[in-house]
Amino acid sequence: MSQSNKNWTLLIVIILITIFSLLVNIPRVPSWVPLSQWFTKQKIHLGLDLQGGTQLIYQTDTTNIPGDQREAAVEGARDVIERRVNFFGVSEPVIHTVKAENEWRLVVELPGIRNVKEAIEMIGETPILEFREQASSKPLSDQEKKDRENYNQQAEQKASEILKKVLKSGADFSALAKEYSEDEGSGNQGGDLGWFGKGAMIPEFEKAAFALKKGEVTKQLVESFFGYHIIKKFDERKTADGKEEIKASHILIETQSLEIDLSNPQSQWQYTGLTGKQLKSAQVSFGGNTNESEVSLEFNEEGTKLFGEITQRNIGKPVAIFLDGVPISVPTVRETITGGKAVITGNFNIKEVKELAQRLSAGALPVAINLVSQQNIGPSLGRLSVNKSFVAGIIGLLAVMIFMITFYGFYGLIASIALLIYALINMAVYKLLPVTLTLSAIAGFIISLGMAVDANVLIFERVKDEKRLGKFGGTAINDGFRHAWTAIRDGNVTTLITCFILYYFGTGLIRGFGLTLGLGVILSMFTAITVTRNLLKLFNK
Amino acid sequence: MFYKIIQKRKIFLTISAVVILFSLIALIVWGLKFGIDFTGGTIMEVRYLSVKIDNNQQIIDKLKDLKLENLSVQLTGENGAVMRFKDVDEETHQKILTVLNEIGDLEEISFHSMGPMIGRELTNKARWSVILATLCILLYVAWSFRKLSKVIKQGESWRYAFGAIFSLFHDIIIIVGFYAVMGHFRQMEFNSLAIAAILTVLGYSVNDTIVVYDRIRENILAQGGRDLEEVVNKSLNETIARTFNTTLTTIFAILAVALFGGVSTRDFAFAMAVGVLTGAYSSISIAASFLLFNRKGLNRK
Repeated sequence: MSQSNKNWTLLIVIILITIFSLLVNIPRVPSWVPLSQWFTKQKIHLGLDLQGGTQLIYQTDTTNIPGDQREAAVEGARDVIERRVNFFGVSEPVIHTVKAENEWRLVVELPGIRNVKEAIEMIGETPILEFREQASSKPLSDQEKKDRENYNQQAEQKASEILKKVLKSGADFSALAKEYSEDEGSGNQGGDLGWFGKGAMIPEFEKAAFALKKGEVTKQLVESFFGYHIIKKFDERKTADGKEEIKASHILIETQSLEIDLSNPQSQWQYTGLTGKQLKSAQVSFGGNTNESEVSLEFNEEGTKLFGEITQRNIGKPVAIFLDGVPISVPTVRETITGGKAVITGNFNIKEVKELAQRLSAGALPVAINLVSQQNIGPSLGRLSVNKSFVAGIIGLLAVMIFMITFYGFYGLIASIALLIYALINMAVYKLLPVTLTLSAIAGFIISLGMAVDANVLIFERVKDEKRLGKFGGTAINDGFRHAWTAIRDGNVTTLITCFILYYFGTGLIRGFGLTLGLGVILSMFTAITVTRNLLKLFNK
Repeated sequence: MFYKIIQKRKIFLTISAVVILFSLIALIVWGLKFGIDFTGGTIMEVRYLSVKIDNNQQIIDKLKDLKLENLSVQLTGENGAVMRFKDVDEETHQKILTVLNEIGDLEEISFHSMGPMIGRELTNKARWSVILATLCILLYVAWSFRKLSKVIKQGESWRYAFGAIFSLFHDIIIIVGFYAVMGHFRQMEFNSLAIAAILTVLGYSVNDTIVVYDRIRENILAQGGRDLEEVVNKSLNETIARTFNTTLTTIFAILAVALFGGVSTRDFAFAMAVGVLTGAYSSISIAASFLLFNRKGLNRK
C-alpha cells in the first residue's frame, strides 16, 4: 500500500470512530440507523452531585471477626443493605465497600431520594444476627491471671456491699439495680428479667432463682460465668401445661474469666462465620412444650452446612445467638443439626417475636454498622450544576479552539478538529465504560482539554523549527512529530502517574477527577498524534 | 539571536525565593483552613423561598437551642445561608430543618455531615499520595534521561530528576501558601479538591520541566555545545513559545471550570491556575537553573 493510500485508509477509520462516538452521544438515534436501539440505550451516568440524592457512609465493626473473613462478612452486609434499599424502591442504588486502612466501610448512594430520614431509619433498623461459639481458651499469662483475680476480688467485695444494701429493710431493689447492675439490658429496667421458665437461664442462676420465695432476695451472692448476681423473685405462676414460671430481677457485677484470654466480656464468644447473611427465612412459631413464642430460622445452603459443622463441634457446649451485639439466646447443643433450622427463644412477648421475625426476614446483617458520614444534595443544585458545567465545557472548548486558530492558523484549525473529535470520543467513552460524571470528573475533562492541546502545540512548534531548517511539507511534519514525541511521551506519562495515584488513593471526588483526566491523557495521545498528523499530511500541500 | 534567559537566573531565583518565603510565613502564621473532609463536621446549605433573609443573626438565634458546636452562618447571594458546625446525627439534622422552617419555607440545597475519623484517614492518604507521586516521577525522569549518562558522566540523569523534583516542591509550597493566604482572607478551604489540585499541578509542572529538559537533552546529544549555559539558554528559547501557548490554553480551560459557580470548584480552579503559572515559571527558574548549579562545563566523558 502506498503512503498516500495508507493515509486515506486511516482517515476513513478516524471518520468511522467519530461517527460511532457521535451516535453514542446523541440521546435519540433515528430508527433507520443500524443498531439505533443500542445507541439510544446508552445513558450518561450522573453522580449524586449532579442529579441530587444521598450518600451514606457506614463504618463496619469487624473486631470480632477473624481477619481473613472480614471481607466476606462486609460483602454480606452489602448484599443485605442492597436488598433492603431495593425493597424501599430507590432507583439504581449504588452500594459498595471500601477498605480504609484496617477498616471496612459501606458506601450507600441513593440517587434522587427525598426522604433521607426514612432511608437512614430503614437501614439502621437492620438487625445484626450472629451465631457464636465459645472461644477456645488460650492460656493467660501469670500476670494477667493475677490481674484478673484481683479484679474479681474487687468485684466480689463490691457485690457484697451492694447485697448488704439490698438486704436492708425497705431497700428499693430496682433503684439499686439501676444504679449498680452491670447488665446494661436489664439494669435500665430496674434489673427486671421478666417471666421465664426453666431452661432459659444459666444453671447456677436458675437454681438460686427458683429456690426463692415470692418477694425474697438471695441471701448470698450467686456466682456464675458472667459474675456475681443478686436475685429477687417477684412473682410465680404456672403455665397452661403446668410448667413453673417466675418473674425475677437481678443485679449483676461482672467478673473476668480466668481461662479465656479475651478482655471484652462479650468476646468470650467467638465468630463462627454463621450470620444473618446465610439466613433464608424467619418465622414466628410456638415452642412445642411451653407454647412460648419463638422465632424459627431457616438457613440457606451455606448456612445449613455451617450450622451443621458448628453444632457438631460444640456438642454439650453452648452456642450463643447474638442479636444486635447482645446474646439473646444461649442454647446448649445436644446433637448435630443438619436440617438447617434453628430457633431463637427468650423473653419475648408475641409482639416482639413478630417484629423480630419481620426484621430478620427483611435481612439481617453479619456485622454491626455505624453511620459516619451523610451527604444530601437537593435536586435543584444538581440541575443547576449540570447546566453550568455544560456551559463551562463548551466555553473551555471554544476558547482553546479560538486560541489555536489565532496562533497557528491552518494548523490550529486542524488541531481544533482533532480536539472536537477528542471531546466526542471522550463523551462516548464516559457513556460506554461507564464513567460516573460528577463535578470533579467534568473538571478533570475540561482541564484535559488544555492538556490535549499541549501535544499539538509541541508538534506545531517542532514543525515550524523543521521548516526553518529548510524542510518541506511531509518531511517537516514527519520530523516535527518525531522530535516532539519524547517530550509528549514523558509529559503524558508523568501526568498519568499522578492520575493513577489520584484514582488509586482518592475517595469519590478525587477518584472521578483522576479517572477523567487520565482517560483524557490517553485519548489525547491518540487524537493529537494520529488524527492531527493524518489530517495534516492529507491536507497540507 | 537568542534572548538571554538563563543568564538572568539570579533574578528568577530571587523572585522564587521571595514568594516561597512569603508562602512559608503565611503557612506558619495563618495556617490552613481545613475543610470538613479533613476535620469532620457539617456543612449545610439552605435557600429561603418565601421570606427575605438579610441577617444571619436570625438564623443563629433559631439554632441557639440546639447547641450546635462551632456554629458559623454565612449568607449566600441567593437568599440562602451556609451553616457550618460539628458533625451531627440525622435526628439533629431533622430538628435543624424544623426550626429553620419556622422562619419561612425553605429548600435544603445540600447537607454534608462527616465524622472526624474519615478526615484523619484523608490526611494520611493525602500525605502518602503526594510522597508516592513525587517518588514515581523522580524514578521516571531518571529513567527517561538515562541516555545522557552515555555522553556525560554517570549519574547525570539524576541531576535532571532532582531538578524536576525541586521545581515541584517550589510549586507545591506556593500552592499551599496560596491556600493559607486565601483561607485567611477569603475563607478558602483546604479540602480534598485541594489535594487533587496539588497532585494535578504536580503532574503538570513536571510536564513543563520535561519539555525544557527534553530540548536540553536533545541539544546536548546532537551538538557539541561546550558551554552548558549556552545549551540551556538555547533550549529555553526554543521551548518558550510552547510553554507560553500551552500555559495560556490550559488557563483558558481552567477559567471555564471557574465558571461552574460552586464555591468549592471555583476555589479549586483558582488553585489550579496558580499551580499552572508557577509550574511554567519554575521550569525556568528552578529546573533549568538547577542544571547549572555549582558547575560550568558539560563534564563530557
